[in-house]
Amino acid sequence: MGACYLAWATDEKIRDRAANGGFVTAVLVAALEKDLLDAVIVVKKEDVYEGIPTVTSDPETVVECAGSLHAAPINLTRFVVEFYKDERNKGKKIGLPAKPCDARGIIEQAKRQQLDINDVYLVGLNCGGTLHPLGLREAAAEIYGIDPDAVVKEEIKAGKLFLSLQSGEERECKMDELEERGYGRRDSCKMCTTKIPTMADLACGNWGVPKGEEATFVEVLTEKGEALFRNALENGYIEVKEAPEESLEVRERIKNAMVKRAEEWWQKLDVVRELTRDERLKFYVETLKLCIHCGACRIVCPVCACGDAAKCVSMHDERDDYVISMYNMIRLLHLMDSCIGCGQCEDVCPVDIPLTLIHRRFAERMQRKLNYTPGMSVEEKPPFYEAELRWHDIL
Amino acid sequence: MLAAVNSSGKAEAEEWQPKILAFCCNWCSYAGADAAGLERRQTPPTIRVIRVMCSGRIDPAFALMGFLEGADAVLITGCHIGDCHYVDANYKTRNRFEFLKEFVDELGLEPERLRLQWISASEGAIFADMVREVTENVKKVGPSPFRKSWKK
Repeated sequence: MGACYLAWATDEKIRDRAANGGFVTAVLVAALEKDLLDAVIVVKKEDVYEGIPTVTSDPETVVECAGSLHAAPINLTRFVVEFYKDERNKGKKIGLPAKPCDARGIIEQAKRQQLDINDVYLVGLNCGGTLHPLGLREAAAEIYGIDPDAVVKEEIKAGKLFLSLQSGEERECKMDELEERGYGRRDSCKMCTTKIPTMADLACGNWGVPKGEEATFVEVLTEKGEALFRNALENGYIEVKEAPEESLEVRERIKNAMVKRAEEWWQKLDVVRELTRDERLKFYVETLKLCIHCGACRIVCPVCACGDAAKCVSMHDERDDYVISMYNMIRLLHLMDSCIGCGQCEDVCPVDIPLTLIHRRFAERMQRKLNYTPGMSVEEKPPFYEAELRWHDIL
Repeated sequence: MLAAVNSSGKAEAEEWQPKILAFCCNWCSYAGADAAGLERRQTPPTIRVIRVMCSGRIDPAFALMGFLEGADAVLITGCHIGDCHYVDANYKTRNRFEFLKEFVDELGLEPERLRLQWISASEGAIFADMVREVTENVKKVGPSPFRKSWKK
């Protein structure tokens, strides 16, 4: 475990805009202004339900994008990969606020030589989950009883989801209640067990921040994280104090509670578990039969790196009338060791195939067998491609 | 591949005969299959052999395609570990087979339908035994569920 601090931005403007003390924004602004980073990728708020990932070198824009957007479940990995596809950007340093699934996706891409992890500074964010924009709209109308378009702000605090209207009126509902009624977080988030981005360079969040204090709890995890942190501190962008023992405990307790909850959700959402072998096959055939092969899941997938020559595309032929298409078969096979469970594929699927569930079913058993968790460290190569000689097996 | 799976052997016997797709390495198990014939070993006429230059050439996707085409079982055969003509390719086969095994099991096909066997060029007996064994096992579990919905 790295050194832990409570930190907050010195700039009042940042503190006001940001969620908890503005540490993340301040660190990115400091890194840009002191030339530690060439650009940052932030999500620009369009409205409550939409955010647009933006590459910028302008500190003003970064400040504008402060604060979290829970209902814009974007994975930034593909945007980082696109950034480095441009020859002019080779070798540039970029930074971004990263949820655990962003950070894991970027690490998986680094393993596949799509980017150099030393160039990417990951300011990790603790993540309790994101909401699907459509789900939130429906919830606003049905549970909160307000016009979805009139919502100007959403906030998750202490297990409650707050929606604010233009008039300043604020309505709240318990997250658990929302989820019982079929709204709330996305399925992938409900069952995600990576709540603190220990694979990123910094891990920031409000878990463990004492009540009433406006600060961010920060764990410095790597040398890159240390560089970002020092740069912001020494140039006066942030103020810090040592995190008290109590904060550490609270953070750990919240994390453990959420992980436990996630495991319960997985038990509940995994409808395939109860099925017999034949029923299982039927389930997969019936659900994957809906696929129209638009390829959207492949495009958003943060761990795919095959590009246009991908096997799942080249071995697939629209004229085949297989019960499950080669596209789906190969994608499921290739993601068995690498699926990080981010749920992007399900979000974009035009025919609503429960891809998060299916991929997790296939991936979980293989990852458990290999004792491998994807996206945790660049050193651990994907086991599917493992090719080195294993002489100790024979000798 | 479609042709290999579809071509039935001799006239169909009254009892249902499975169709088994076998990938054989040019340097060992293909010669092993040959040896089984030379040694006059009786094998059921259930297998369709596809020769590959190395078991490392067998992408798990080939096996999956075989299943989708209606094969009742897929055999992957290659040289013993350490004997590979291309030094280390059968290590890769072994690694990929682990994935394939889990995949087929999760998908809902019986584990009997998939097998990896190391057979050297002189092991005709092992080849014949393997075919016999797999044929019996597959007869027990019946036709592939993919075949039931298989048109034609």
